[in-house]
Amino acid sequence: MTNRREFIKKAGVAAAGVFAVPYLLPSGRLFAATGVRRANHVVFCLYAGGVRNLESVMKAEGNLMPNMLNGNESISPDIAAFMQPLPANPLGAGNTLQSYGTLYKNFRYNSGPTGHYNGHTCAITGAYTTTDLSIKDHPTNPTVFEYYRKHNSPAQTALNSWWISNALGPYPALNFSKYPGYGAMFGANFIAPTSLISVDGYDVLGNQMTFGSQEQAAISKMRSFMDHNFKRSFVDGDAGVTNSGPDAIQLEQFITKSFQDASSGLYTDPWGAGIGVMNNDMYNIFFTEEIIKQFKPELIVVNMQDVDICHTDFTSYCNNLRKADFAVAHLWNTIQNTPGMANDTIMIIAPEHGRNQNGNSILDMNGRKALDHTASLDGTGDQMARDIFCMVVGPPSKVQQGQVISSSNGESIEVIPTIANILGFDNDVPAGMLKSFNSCDLKTAFI
Amino acid sequence: MLTRKQILHLFLAVVLVAGCSKEKTFVYDVNTVNVNPESGDKSNVKTTTEFISIAYSDLYGTTISQGNLYKLNVAYTSFGDKKLIEDRIIRNFLNDPNVIIPSDTLMRNDIAAFITSSYKKFFNRLPDEFEKYYLVNLIQTDTDIKSVEIYYSMMTATEYRYY
Repeated sequence: MTNRREFIKKAGVAAAGVFAVPYLLPSGRLFAATGVRRANHVVFCLYAGGVRNLESVMKAEGNLMPNMLNGNESISPDIAAFMQPLPANPLGAGNTLQSYGTLYKNFRYNSGPTGHYNGHTCAITGAYTTTDLSIKDHPTNPTVFEYYRKHNSPAQTALNSWWISNALGPYPALNFSKYPGYGAMFGANFIAPTSLISVDGYDVLGNQMTFGSQEQAAISKMRSFMDHNFKRSFVDGDAGVTNSGPDAIQLEQFITKSFQDASSGLYTDPWGAGIGVMNNDMYNIFFTEEIIKQFKPELIVVNMQDVDICHTDFTSYCNNLRKADFAVAHLWNTIQNTPGMANDTIMIIAPEHGRNQNGNSILDMNGRKALDHTASLDGTGDQMARDIFCMVVGPPSKVQQGQVISSSNGESIEVIPTIANILGFDNDVPAGMLKSFNSCDLKTAFI
Repeated sequence: MLTRKQILHLFLAVVLVAGCSKEKTFVYDVNTVNVNPESGDKSNVKTTTEFISIAYSDLYGTTISQGNLYKLNVAYTSFGDKKLIEDRIIRNFLNDPNVIIPSDTLMRNDIAAFITSSYKKFFNRLPDEFEKYYLVNLIQTDTDIKSVEIYYSMMTATEYRYY
C-alpha cells in the first residue's frame, strides 16, 4: 500500500481526486414509463458560481467561451494578460458546442433569492425557492433524481443517477428531498470528488483493512445475527442513499481504484493543461468523465463554481469562465467518445444565476470592479443577476443544431421538466409538481 | 330462649345453606409483558461527528484530535452512501497498528468475557444470554475467527449507529 508521503508526492499539489472503475452498467433502455425517450442519457451541467450574460453570451470582454460559443471576438487586453494558456479546443479547431444544439441567450432565473444554494436548489428541483430555504436540510421539493428513479420504468438503481458537486457546505443535501413519498430511496449517489479523493481523504480512507472471502463470510454471519437482534433498520435518509450489494461493491472498487490512480500520479495533470492550471471546476468535470466512463449513468447533474471569485476579482472571474468553457467542451468530447453514451446523450448547460450589473467597491489588478449577485425579490433595482443563458446540445436527430434563440421566456424551472421529457417520464410526474413541458420554451430545442 | 334442639337445627341450616352456595372461581393470570432486548430502547442515530469520535475512542482508547475529526468529517460528507463510507472509515481505523484490539489468544482464553466486554464497549450494554451463547459457540466452532473480525462486525452492525 502506498504511504501518505508517497501519495502526496505522486498525487501532486493540485491533485484533488480521481476516478476509474470496474464494470460497466448496461446502458438504458428504449422506452420509458409512458413516454418515448428522446435519449437515454442526460447530463445537466450547472455552469454555476454566478455567470453574467455580459461576459458570457454577450461577449462584452470578447469571447471568453470560445469552445462553447461561436465567434472569435478578441478578449480585452488587460484581462487577456492574466489568462493562463489552455490546451486546444477538445472539440477540434473551429467546432463549438453551440453548433451542436440550441442556445438561449435570454434565459431567466425568475424568482427567489439570487444565492448559489437557492439557484442550485431551483435548478435541481425545478421549483423556485424563497428566503426560507434551509441550508441544513434536504430540499422540500423532490429533486430530479427522485422524479427519475420513482417515475422511470423500469426502476433504476442509484448507480444510474449522480449529483457531482465541486463543493461541500450545503450541497450534499441536494441528492434527495424530504418530500413525502420521495426521499433517499429515490435519491442519487452524491460525490464531492475533489474532497473525497484528496490527500486528506487518502489519510482517512485510503489504507483500509481487507478481508478474504472466508473472513467476510464469518463477518457477515455475525453482523446479520447482531442486526437481527437489534431489529431496527435505518429510517429513510439516515444512511443517505444506499446502494445494494453488487452496486456497493462496484462503488467500493471505484473509490479504491481512484485512490490508487491518484497515488500513481495519474491525476496530477490529467488533461495536459499544465501543472497548476486545472482548477477545482476542471477537476470536478474530470471526475465526472471518469464516472461516465465507468458507469454510463442515465442522469448526471454536475456543477462548477470557481467563477464566484468575481466577488473580489473580476479578471480571475474571466479566467475561470474560460476554464469552465474548456471543461464543458472536454466533457462533451468524452461523452461522444464513450460507447453507450455517444450519440445518445443530451446535455443541458446553464448557470444557476447571474451577477449584478453594478460592481462592488473591490478592484482587481486591472482596476476592474468585482461583482456580487444580489437581485431584490420585488423586482426593483439591479436585476441583472436573474439573466442567464441556457444551451441544449445533442444528436442532430434529436436537437436543433446551431439554433440561437435571442428572445425567449425560458426560465430556470424548465430544465427539470425538460429532462423528464427527454427520459420519457414527464407524463408520470403528478400534475402540478413541475412546470408542464409543453409550456416550456426549452421544447423549441428539440426536433 | 332457644332450646338446645333449636340451636342444633339452626346450626345445621346454616351449614346447609353455606354448603350449597356456589363456589367462587378465582382465575390467576399473568399480565402481558413485552420482552425486548436491551438494545431495543436505542432510537437515536449518532450524528456524523458522534459516530466518528466514538468509533475512534472505542478503538484507540483516546479522544480524536480536531485535525483528524475534520478530515474524517470532510471524507464522510463527500460521499452520499453513508453505510459505504462508514465501512471504509472503520476498516481504515482497523488497519492502523495503533488501534487497541485484544489478541486472538486473549480472546480465546475466555471467549465469554471477550464477548461481554465487546458488547459493553461497542453497544454500551451487556449481551443477553442468547447473544452470548450464540457468539461464544460460533467462535469456538470456527477457530479461524479473529478478534478484529468481531470488532469489525460490531462496529458495522446497525446497533452501533444508534444510541
